[in-house]
Amino acid sequence: MGIQEQYRSEAAELLSSGEVKLVIGFGAGSTADRRRPLFARTPEESEKLVLDQNCIANLTTYLVAGGLLTDGKKVAVFLKPDGIRSLNILIAESQVKAEQVVIFGFAIENNEVTPLEGRSISDFAKLGEKLRTATPPPSVQEEAERLEAMGSSGRFEYWKEQFSKCIKCYACRQACPMCYCRRCIVDVNQPQWVSTSSHTLGNFEWNLVRAFHLAGRCAACGACDRACPVNIPLRLINYRMGKEVKEAFDYFAGESSDQNPVLASFRQDDPETFIL
Amino acid sequence: MAKIGVFVCHCGENIASNVDTANLVRKVSEHPGVEVCAEYKYFCSDPGQETVKRAIRENGLTGVVVAACSPRMHETTFRKACAEAGLNPYMLEMANIREHCSWVHSDKEKATEKAIEITRSLVEKVKRNNNLKPISVPVTRRALVIGGGIAGIQAALDIAGAGREVILVEREPSIGGHMSQLSETFPTLDCSQCILTPRMVEAIQHPNIKVLTYSEVEEVDGYIGNFKAKIRKKSRYVDIDKCTGCGDCIQKCPVKKVPSEFECGLGNRTAIYTPFAQAVPNVPVIDTTRCTYFKNGKCKICQKTCQIENCIDFGMQDTFEEYEVGAIVVATGFQIQDTTLYGEYGYGRYKDVITGLSFERLASASGPTSGVIKRPSDGKEPETIVFIQCAGSRDPSKGVRYCSKICCMYTAKHAMLYAHKNHDGRSRIFYMDIRAAGKGYDEFTRRAIEEDGAEYLRGRVSKLYEENGKLIVRGVDSLLGKPVEIAADMVVLATAIVPQPDAREFAKRIGIGYDEYGFYNEAHMKLRPVETATAGIYLCGACQSPKDIPDSVAQASAAAAKVLGLFSREQLEREPVVASVSDATCAGCFGCVMACPYNAIDVRDINDRNGNLIKQVADVNPGLCQGCGTCVTFCRSNSIDLAGFTENQIFAEIMAL
Repeated sequence: MGIQEQYRSEAAELLSSGEVKLVIGFGAGSTADRRRPLFARTPEESEKLVLDQNCIANLTTYLVAGGLLTDGKKVAVFLKPDGIRSLNILIAESQVKAEQVVIFGFAIENNEVTPLEGRSISDFAKLGEKLRTATPPPSVQEEAERLEAMGSSGRFEYWKEQFSKCIKCYACRQACPMCYCRRCIVDVNQPQWVSTSSHTLGNFEWNLVRAFHLAGRCAACGACDRACPVNIPLRLINYRMGKEVKEAFDYFAGESSDQNPVLASFRQDDPETFIL
Repeated sequence: MAKIGVFVCHCGENIASNVDTANLVRKVSEHPGVEVCAEYKYFCSDPGQETVKRAIRENGLTGVVVAACSPRMHETTFRKACAEAGLNPYMLEMANIREHCSWVHSDKEKATEKAIEITRSLVEKVKRNNNLKPISVPVTRRALVIGGGIAGIQAALDIAGAGREVILVEREPSIGGHMSQLSETFPTLDCSQCILTPRMVEAIQHPNIKVLTYSEVEEVDGYIGNFKAKIRKKSRYVDIDKCTGCGDCIQKCPVKKVPSEFECGLGNRTAIYTPFAQAVPNVPVIDTTRCTYFKNGKCKICQKTCQIENCIDFGMQDTFEEYEVGAIVVATGFQIQDTTLYGEYGYGRYKDVITGLSFERLASASGPTSGVIKRPSDGKEPETIVFIQCAGSRDPSKGVRYCSKICCMYTAKHAMLYAHKNHDGRSRIFYMDIRAAGKGYDEFTRRAIEEDGAEYLRGRVSKLYEENGKLIVRGVDSLLGKPVEIAADMVVLATAIVPQPDAREFAKRIGIGYDEYGFYNEAHMKLRPVETATAGIYLCGACQSPKDIPDSVAQASAAAAKVLGLFSREQLEREPVVASVSDATCAGCFGCVMACPYNAIDVRDINDRNGNLIKQVADVNPGLCQGCGTCVTFCRSNSIDLAGFTENQIFAEIMAL
């Protein structure tokens, strides 16, 4: 039995026994090589679950949908390692209770889907350590290094050009599991800190605010990047912020679910290089 | 409709010389909403304040901006003036055109422009101010004194004497601190123990003082009037309530060769010990690193010797106690600098090169030599002693930059004591300057020179080595401009006073500031010398800066007076500058709960009418909130606002620029 069939039957079992109220997985998409999220509430619906190398989305985004988990019931979700990282962050930030989530873990390597052992987040403690030392995808790293070599004025020009494309559709925000605020700061208009129109200043404001709000919280799943309709390489910004946080505080976001959020916590030996 | 009064102060010449105040008044008068704009030489003066009050009454002002100095100087003054004129005191803003403008710029035209911007920006802010009411909080009228040296003891006695409870915490097995180690004290040469022990006994017997020795403050939470202190009582392995202090266990302890910390290693103690004979409380502790039982699991001779059942308990554990206190006095003292960093002085290499503190023990009647000054190496009485002052102090290259303050005096005292005990002995003192400012101090050093034959040599020592049982001290007499070489029997280094090794870490734990060396910072060097920047926490003794006994005691009494002033009221009025959370938008990440340095934020459930949980939100306790704004800056969903500094006010301020 392949992993897809195994997870399908397990999902059906969980649903029929009432163990979980919902299974969030992947279903057929609009084209042969695209998958869209599938929400199975009955054993029959779970028959439509698909698991193959095209299942790349980070489904934790759907866990933070308003009110989904307030009844205390369990939800099962299909997660890749980056999704598990996201889940760790969401648990640390009190958005999800660990005991409410059943994980169908899988990894995609060389177009092969392999299962990940364990169903509860506590089963994935070792994965965090592994991800911490893993090298980022070469495409991201090479591009990030190219940008770093540009110098600050070169980079500024680069991002000015990239952000000039932004149409403020907020697809990045919608795709990101960390953007769970009921009201985003960009929607605050009394006072209006972030300008809403799509000119360079407003675009800079929005993208920088988002970068800062993701500092030490990004699981590097790339959802924002994939969601962007004008192809702004958002994951490069988040990669850089992640690197800064790792260098300054030796902190890798989502390594475990009992991490203290880095910017909210304080250690006696934190670097104070900013104090003159 | 806003009616704002703007009052531009000249501050004598402080502002007027560098800001064109007439121009400032003219420009600000034109700003929308400004009803009155006036200038005056000193608005903080009585007639100045009267002008403000009259303007409020006559024009029905809704807000006031005083363009003058920092709010730290006169915000209270003008708030009071506003209140007296019937305006809510929180409808006042200070536009700081002195520290932020006239004092720091030299181009008058540009400084004027900046002053106009600053003032306008505060006008925009004050338009959005709200009437606020101060928050009343109860005061717990019990003090925590940290450190049981002379400063801590004095502060505790003064507070207790005024009828308030005190918790006195000391981490060593006995109170007494460094003063208990000293032989005689300058400038009167009275015996240190003789004047200190009555105070120690008074402290432990005082009905209002609870002395916790061998204990450390682990954690401090809360704020002025309402602190919570968690104290770790380290296990003594001896029951403090049962022990009679007979000392049998100490007599019988087989581990007898432990270098005594109290004797600076010049004498020995046992593994179960009291640091010195007059220890208060007179209850021993077991040093587990030395005790045979703790090392090998066998011995327990002390327990077998002890006449009292279960008095010595090897299974004793550290215990924790929590106390609610309204004020904290920090009197954690100092240590002496490790002098091994001066290779040229040979400390640690030659046994007869000792520190001033070791000399105190040699000269002390209760010390290891019963007060006879003997060389540590062979027990001979030295014929010549060389004293080296500033062995660490006033030396930016290797030691510390500051003057340790007490060394000139104690070195003169050492020379005197030596002369009194050994009439033929010679004291040769290398010094940089003799600093003897203080009542009776200069007379004291003169007496050392004129009556007791102390020979002062102005200069530094460059090298010290041993030859034929003598310590050869090579230096320079800078007044003669000649090198000198002295064959000494003993060398005493006046080592620098430095903060406790854990001073910085402890300051962070209780939330007070420290300077570049680790000495604790006072709120204002001249005008608030015993207060810290944290309200309700006070300082005394050498934890603030090097100090002698008279200064430490004076500062301790001053700190006690501050504490008693605080305790004179049952309620404390607090600034209503507190944060509040919007339930509707709070995302419940609770980063603010963790980020809050005052533990003022809790998690609150929001339920529907049937009691089902809808969501959890952050909730600020206004009694605990100090208005620092950390949570506001942390909150990603912008759900926290700070009264007096609301988003709308700050935004208006910025947009007015």
